[in-house]
Amino acid sequence: MQIIACYSNKGGVGKTATAVNLAYAFAASGRRTLLCDLDPQGASGFYFRVKPSKKLVDAQFFEDDERFAKAIRGSDYDNLDILPANMSFRDFDVFLSRMKNGQSRLKKALKAVKADYDVVVLDCPPNISMLSENVFQAADAVVVPVIPTTLSRRTFEQLLEFFQASGLPETRIHAFFSMVQNIKSLHGETIAEMTAAYPGRFTRATIPFASEVERMGLTRAPVLATAPASRAGRAYQALFDEIEERVKA
Amino acid sequence: MTTGDGIYYLAAARLGDLAERDVQNLKPVLEWTEGSRPFAIRDCFDQSLRMSRRLLLEDGGLLELISATGEALRQPATPQARFVAEFAEGPVKAALAGLSPLRALLPVAAGMARSGRLALIDDEGKTRARAELLELRPTDGNAVILVTPQGLRGYDRALHDLVAHVRDCGGTPLGAGNLYRMIDPANTGYVAKPRIEVGREETAFDAANDLIDGYLPVARANEQGIIADLDTEFLHDHRVALRKIRSVLSLFKGVYDLEQTAELKLRFSALMAPTGPLRDLDVYLLAQQGFCDLVPERMHAGLDRMFARLRDRRAAEHARLAAHLRSKGYQKEIKALTKLFAKRRKLLAGQNASRASFDLACELIWKRYRRIRRIAAGMTAETPDDEVHRLRIECKKLRYLMEFFGPVFPRRDLKDVLEPLKDLQDSLGLFNDYAVQQTKLQAFMDDLGDAPHKLDIAQSVGALIVVLHQKQLGEREKIVAAFARFNSDRMQRTIRRLFHEGKGS
Repeated sequence: MQIIACYSNKGGVGKTATAVNLAYAFAASGRRTLLCDLDPQGASGFYFRVKPSKKLVDAQFFEDDERFAKAIRGSDYDNLDILPANMSFRDFDVFLSRMKNGQSRLKKALKAVKADYDVVVLDCPPNISMLSENVFQAADAVVVPVIPTTLSRRTFEQLLEFFQASGLPETRIHAFFSMVQNIKSLHGETIAEMTAAYPGRFTRATIPFASEVERMGLTRAPVLATAPASRAGRAYQALFDEIEERVKA
Repeated sequence: MTTGDGIYYLAAARLGDLAERDVQNLKPVLEWTEGSRPFAIRDCFDQSLRMSRRLLLEDGGLLELISATGEALRQPATPQARFVAEFAEGPVKAALAGLSPLRALLPVAAGMARSGRLALIDDEGKTRARAELLELRPTDGNAVILVTPQGLRGYDRALHDLVAHVRDCGGTPLGAGNLYRMIDPANTGYVAKPRIEVGREETAFDAANDLIDGYLPVARANEQGIIADLDTEFLHDHRVALRKIRSVLSLFKGVYDLEQTAELKLRFSALMAPTGPLRDLDVYLLAQQGFCDLVPERMHAGLDRMFARLRDRRAAEHARLAAHLRSKGYQKEIKALTKLFAKRRKLLAGQNASRASFDLACELIWKRYRRIRRIAAGMTAETPDDEVHRLRIECKKLRYLMEFFGPVFPRRDLKDVLEPLKDLQDSLGLFNDYAVQQTKLQAFMDDLGDAPHKLDIAQSVGALIVVLHQKQLGEREKIVAAFARFNSDRMQRTIRRLFHEGKGS
């Protein structure tokens, strides 16, 4: 079982859209896929029309394998299931504090469903916290969307520093440029600079700033399902192909 | 996605009901995929697949084996393949390994198929449960829909509601009903060994009539398959049914009037006689591989030539038998006999006619058993073949008697006796086969005349005869051992208790 974490220590960068489309693409490629919604803001479950489960607001959630497995819901798409976490911020704090005693608790919980899935995609909350550290430990790949601006560069550096400080291998980080607007020269320059500064960390594929992605909130379905031939659709497919290739290697 | 709750079928006429109303506040949505493709349902004549609650479906270019739980094995279809051995290697072929290799997989229904999906959708537009639909529209017969509910993980309740809805609309579990009959109400199935009830106090006359009346339709049911040459089992079953009838006539002594018994024996014997040559050739041709395995490879060419000649003869014999079965003479005779045993007014009772089945059964079986023990007691390695042959015939008669009268004896006791008897018969049968094969192969060689490649054929067949002789000698030792098992003290006591001391029940 492979664990792919979608993570950003900055909000509003298209992380949830990435998790949703990557999970869809893994499932469409024939792999049994579980998308875990760990981000109370992102609500990737929303994009699959899965109603939040009232039973899941309990922080002991990950400590109870059976409850974890029972909370999973099938999506409308073959091979793709969703874990709609729906934790409130307050619950999340409690949850995180509980996690202190066992860094690998997330991995333990995922083990309970190991036989059911080939790929688990995690939609992570946007901060470097206990949970994030857990996620980085457990993940085979950490997919990081980066908007090509100066500010984003700072945030990305913080992430790399965090990896170094925690003794985590940087090679797990697979960053890509998100919400790219070709019309902005700053975007082009930042992409060139960062790609050169962090060799091997960025994928060739970039995700454009596109209305199809915004429209996901209306269609409540992955772009890859509703508009695979669109610019954004093709970009997500290219990103998936590249991530898949990198994770394989 | 989780697998659902089995697979169901319903009349296509009920399709409208499936999507007509909400199911527990979930909206049913029906969608069909564009286009259709040819399909065929296949099964053996004896419906072995249906009996084992499976469905073999050729769907476009795919061959699917669907179990009652709705799980399907798939592999590419092999066009024109009729026997399991002819299918390409794959999971379906592997799963069909238990079927008789001699039985052709015949089309039960064929026509056009299309796929669809029924989804139950909630107020957010999310699918809670769905079912794969396969509409089968046969060229002849009623259209049906196969419904395979598929639950989505975490929505068990919706799946449960969907299954209940499908059943409300007339959905029948594949394993519980008869899909073939829904397609063709005239599809009655075929049973090679009908269960014919014989009561303990039922008169022997009635029992004999019931048995013959029960086996005549079996013989008749196989006629068309023989004529169309679908597989060799049709002729085999046809002959077994007639042989059983003849056994009733000869073994149920004194049940019918003496003169009428003789006349009936002659009539049934005459029905069966024309089927012998074709069956003999079938047996040889089916043994082709086995024969080849017995001799060195350099001898195979000669055997292949022999089998080519046998195949030509078989074609001629088949044409002759098919013409015979279609002839007015045959049809009139078998109909007359069927009527005779159905109406029974013209059957004349013999001196044992009114005896209770149980009494007569005990007497006949006990007598036969004692005769077998007498023959077998003196059997050594030097016993002439004819004596072994006689033992084989006696065992066969004993087996038939026990099976005919089976229902009047306790099932478990009878099974205990029949098992070692069957083993003994198997050995005796092999011994006899080896002997007959040697004689027949010799006759085949003597018959070659100036046939081309005569020398090749004679060499190979000669080698085969030597091997068969060795095997025959080996089998004789096994017969002695098999008889010892059948003749054990425990078996003797059981047989005595069952058939001699009137304690059959």
